[in-house]
Amino acid sequence: MEGNERNYRFINGGVRLNQLKKHVNQLFKDIPESEKKEIIVQEVLQNLEEKVMDLMEQGKNEEDAINKAIVDFGDIEDLKQELDVPDPKKNDMAKINLAYSIWGSILIISLVAFVNFYYTPSVIWFVYPTFAVLWWPLSMYYTWLRRKQR
Amino acid sequence: MLTERRPRTKLIRSDIIRGHLDAIILRLIYEEDRYGYEISKEISSRTENRFQIKEATLYAVFQRLEKNGLIESYFGNFSQGGKRKYYRITLLGKAFLKEAAEEWKETKEIIDLLMEGLD
Repeated sequence: MEGNERNYRFINGGVRLNQLKKHVNQLFKDIPESEKKEIIVQEVLQNLEEKVMDLMEQGKNEEDAINKAIVDFGDIEDLKQELDVPDPKKNDMAKINLAYSIWGSILIISLVAFVNFYYTPSVIWFVYPTFAVLWWPLSMYYTWLRRKQR
Repeated sequence: MLTERRPRTKLIRSDIIRGHLDAIILRLIYEEDRYGYEISKEISSRTENRFQIKEATLYAVFQRLEKNGLIESYFGNFSQGGKRKYYRITLLGKAFLKEAAEEWKETKEIIDLLMEGLD
């Protein structure tokens, strides 16, 4: 019923557009640049602009209208998820775990090897505990891989 | 007691609505091709402001629906902020909507059966 005949209302929105643009860019700053992001930012801006115009028509002054539009916009976490933005914190944790397990196992293996060659150089037994210890970085590696793929 | 209960029911309600947002938005697009702000306004006016959708949520739903092939977008005429991005429902979307409507009817009946008669 109220589709296409609304366009004539947009007369001068230069300053307003700038302020909204700043805010929207701030909101989307964690999302990596892509064509898709550009399109969404444009869409969001266009719709916000229209909302501000509407609010002003209802008697709000420009500043209030902009603030209300921004507050009403809400939190973009859901949107980030839809855009497949990987959660950087979780991936980082997996990376730290992997690095820790690698350094940790190197330390343990070299200790065992040292004990082996120092005290019983004639019998090579350090390979057995080495295999046992290797499970640690291996499992961390796969956890990290799974995170990365998702 | 009272102060504790009221916000809680509100939370439940918004949870239930959130679970059906895809269908709700799809329905609005099914009626005619629409763009983002129009949809959020339509939701507010139809519910007499009892439910307002956050724009951020709305764009998340658009992304999801489009990714699943339930809607498609195209650019409409120019306005001050740029070109409006309109959405139209696809054949798949219509099928999904039909199913969602039936499912909701069923759900409503079941909950009514279990909850009716209470004050």
